[in-house]
Amino acid sequence: MVTQVTWETRARYQTHTWLLFRGNRLSPGTEADGDIVRAVLAGDRERYAKLVERYRDRYARYAARMLGSADAAEDAVQDAFVRAYDQLAQCKDPNKFVGWFFLILRNRCFAERRRSRSKAPLEAADGVAAADRADSNTEAAERRRALQLALLELTPDQREVFVLKHVEGLSYGEIAKQLSTSVPSLKMRMHRAYDKLREQLREHT
Amino acid sequence: MSERDFHPLVKQLLDGDITIADLPAELRAEGEEALRLLAAVDRSSVELPAVPERVMRTLVRAPKHSRPWLLAPALAAAAALVIWLGRPEPVATPAAAIVTVRFVLTAPDAHDVTVAGTFNQWDSHATPLVRIGANGLWTATITLPAGQHQYAFVVDGARWVPDPAAPAVDDGFGRRNSVLTL
Repeated sequence: MVTQVTWETRARYQTHTWLLFRGNRLSPGTEADGDIVRAVLAGDRERYAKLVERYRDRYARYAARMLGSADAAEDAVQDAFVRAYDQLAQCKDPNKFVGWFFLILRNRCFAERRRSRSKAPLEAADGVAAADRADSNTEAAERRRALQLALLELTPDQREVFVLKHVEGLSYGEIAKQLSTSVPSLKMRMHRAYDKLREQLREHT
Repeated sequence: MSERDFHPLVKQLLDGDITIADLPAELRAEGEEALRLLAAVDRSSVELPAVPERVMRTLVRAPKHSRPWLLAPALAAAAALVIWLGRPEPVATPAAAIVTVRFVLTAPDAHDVTVAGTFNQWDSHATPLVRIGANGLWTATITLPAGQHQYAFVVDGARWVPDPAAPAVDDGFGRRNSVLTL
């Protein structure tokens, strides 16, 4: 039932909301992000692997939905980590490494989308999760695929707000804070996105 | 508002501000259409297990941390894309410039592409390229010291392919090696 899906969606949001831009909850004795960043800046390059390991998957989904494929996401996340390493001295608050890293990845995703806009629809099918490919005949999988295609027709700004809110489960307030913008501006983007998605999905069906 | 746009109340429903029960009866069908749209959102996780190794392999080739990222010229479209890294490091001994290089090859039918060259002792497993999307574009980003490097792409572990957009030299064994001068 549709309403149950909505309820489930809300429940799921609660599990994701705090995670995306914040450091992991670390068990006692685990090294904090800030300590690792300071060690790397002091010359201990190998410690950077801990940050990569810690955060590699958290943004994979964001990048995959923004770029339309897991392969493109892998390249983007790798590049973003390399760039973050090269610019690490510019990370003003090492304890907030993860939020700073997100902005680097975000820029990378936006640049990639500008570069490859014309290829997007062809890549979209690759962006569908493995679970979907396994049951590719189901109506639900088809709907997911159609929506992913439609998402790629949005502007990057529109797609991003949709992904952050409806895939990652963030509130408008959290998105506005992270992207240094206002809630009304995000809502305007999102509402245009809803209309465009509706139009795209109607064309596909 | 055009006829194809969602009603503002339905947008509030999509935003999670109201429930479908709050919609007037005439908007319920549109509300259900909107919720079907949200139900199709793919929230499955994406995992990138190879990223740590790839990132660290790239960093290992860089001599030291923290250089500003300066963009510079790209070579020809299908060739290696080159981005210079400036090195205004406060280091007493001048070090050689480090360059980040992106290798790009279009090989739609390939299952596996690597790049081998003087920079990785011609190890055909050391530097894999990653396929980008469905159009057969493969890329890898690594850092190299300034200077001249020879390389070739290795397709499916067996076929050695010189870069079609880079100058090449004979390797003395009947094959052509591409040349990258940084």
